[in-house]
Amino acid sequence: MIGEHWIWWLLTMACVVWYCTITVYVAIKGTADIREMLTRLGDQSDDGREPPGDHPRE
Amino acid sequence: MTHFSWAIDGSIIALYLVATMVAGIMVRRYVGRVEHFIVAGREVNVFLGIASLAATEFGVITCMYTAENGYKYGFAGATPGILFAVAMFFVGVTGFCINPLRHAGVMTIPELFEKRFGARIRWAAGVVIVLGGLLNMGVFLRITGEFLVLVGGFDLANLNRNVVVMMSILLALGTIYTVVGGMLSVLVTDFLQFIVMSTGLLAVTILILTQIGWDRLATTVTERCGAGGFNPFLNPGMGWQYVVFNALEAMAGALTWQTTISRLLAAKDAKTGRQIYTRTSFFFVCRFLLPGIWGIAALAWLAPDALASLPHTFQEDSTSLYAMPFFLSQFVPVGLMGLLLAAMVAADMSSTSSYMITWGSVIYNDILAPLRKTPWSEKRGLLWNRVIVSLIGVFLLFYGLWYPLKGDVYAYLLVTGTIYLASISTMLIACCYWKRANSWGAAGAIVVGAVIPVTCLVVEQAISMLSHELQLWRCYTGMAAFVAAGAAMIVGSLLKPAGAKPRTVEPAAGTGGEP
Repeated sequence: MIGEHWIWWLLTMACVVWYCTITVYVAIKGTADIREMLTRLGDQSDDGREPPGDHPRE
Repeated sequence: MTHFSWAIDGSIIALYLVATMVAGIMVRRYVGRVEHFIVAGREVNVFLGIASLAATEFGVITCMYTAENGYKYGFAGATPGILFAVAMFFVGVTGFCINPLRHAGVMTIPELFEKRFGARIRWAAGVVIVLGGLLNMGVFLRITGEFLVLVGGFDLANLNRNVVVMMSILLALGTIYTVVGGMLSVLVTDFLQFIVMSTGLLAVTILILTQIGWDRLATTVTERCGAGGFNPFLNPGMGWQYVVFNALEAMAGALTWQTTISRLLAAKDAKTGRQIYTRTSFFFVCRFLLPGIWGIAALAWLAPDALASLPHTFQEDSTSLYAMPFFLSQFVPVGLMGLLLAAMVAADMSSTSSYMITWGSVIYNDILAPLRKTPWSEKRGLLWNRVIVSLIGVFLLFYGLWYPLKGDVYAYLLVTGTIYLASISTMLIACCYWKRANSWGAAGAIVVGAVIPVTCLVVEQAISMLSHELQLWRCYTGMAAFVAAGAAMIVGSLLKPAGAKPRTVEPAAGTGGEP
């Protein structure tokens, strides 16, 4: 059955392997991305750039 | 008899829900401006973008219709996923349309249109985007509720009551953190949801492949679907019409689908946005093929008359939609069942919250804000965004209960998406690459691009059609919408007298790079 429909077998296996890998990789690297994003947003507030409040927007 | 255990599986789900709510609410202190609420301050990096886009584009509704595709069409049912992956990869590598869009420094696509076609076109584009988007996501909740009731083994005698309770709980949880933290909360919770969802999706798929086996899956598809189970062009339920319509939708979706574009616009720069596209592209194959295998497994594992025991409500139109959850309720063991349900709840919450924030942003940014002579303050703008997201939640609850869904769910989603995909993708391409394009052409594209799919929906509610007739009807009207929108853009633009100097889209200051 694999020989007859090898394209779909290959695609299915590629999906499982790729998805397992990307889940682990994104779990590790994504944590760093979140930390970096929140640090930068926190820095913006601390620097007083564009502070929250009742200021008209452009 | 379901394998759901309240003590073991219920605890896993509760743990996931607590973690998500805490994370979603904790980031609220970083939301001080409308830009934070809508595009997360444009601080999103590649891997968070991948997690968020993947989590958003995979909801319970996705799992249901892709599994239904597998159940009905075999492996060929994954064809739309392959087309989507190709489109995402092409757009990510070339930067086609998304480069000028990102460099323009806008928060939504209609905002870009104002620079080229004027304020009225921006407003009209906002209206069709919201119309198509809300009709599209309007059926998410009900399908999700039905999935959870079936797999969780809730009392089917009180099906409607249980579905409504399930819908309300899921909606309330998703809405709370979206209202509080906007796109920032959505991104952080999407990240958690991506991990939980992926783990559950992979665990169940591997269980199916090891327990049922590839040979049995392939044999079942051969017996039930013949060669059409492996080739969409030979499948009587698909054919070239289905493939062409899906190819158009895939390209238009990659360019203009609001939840996808919002990741591009939230990315820290254009290069990061393109990387999110290319690196997420193969996920779109997984998104169709893995749940498709669940559907095929249901076909192989369930007895031919097994679905006859489903409640009357599920028998009215398309029982194939419910084959996969019915199968999972009996196949997945205790413990893994908790992970599966947590994964599906995660998938639903990430999609719902993201859809609410992105379509809410269009309502605020392109429909309400342009009507005001003086802009709202940041504080009032945030308040309005939160009110809009809450109102979308209320709409979802009532539309999900009220709308009588007919036929293939995926085809319904394609048709409602076409209401804006046909016109907005045409306008975006013209806006970026055709100097002669103008407001007459844009107005024509919006009108015909929306009228054709809306007419399609009205006609199919009024006239009784067989399943394959309905499928063909939707494919033809969908293709017609794209062709007509393109023709209207060309004819309208050429008809408008050449007067003032045509407007061009300039890159915004600080966005970097070439337009």
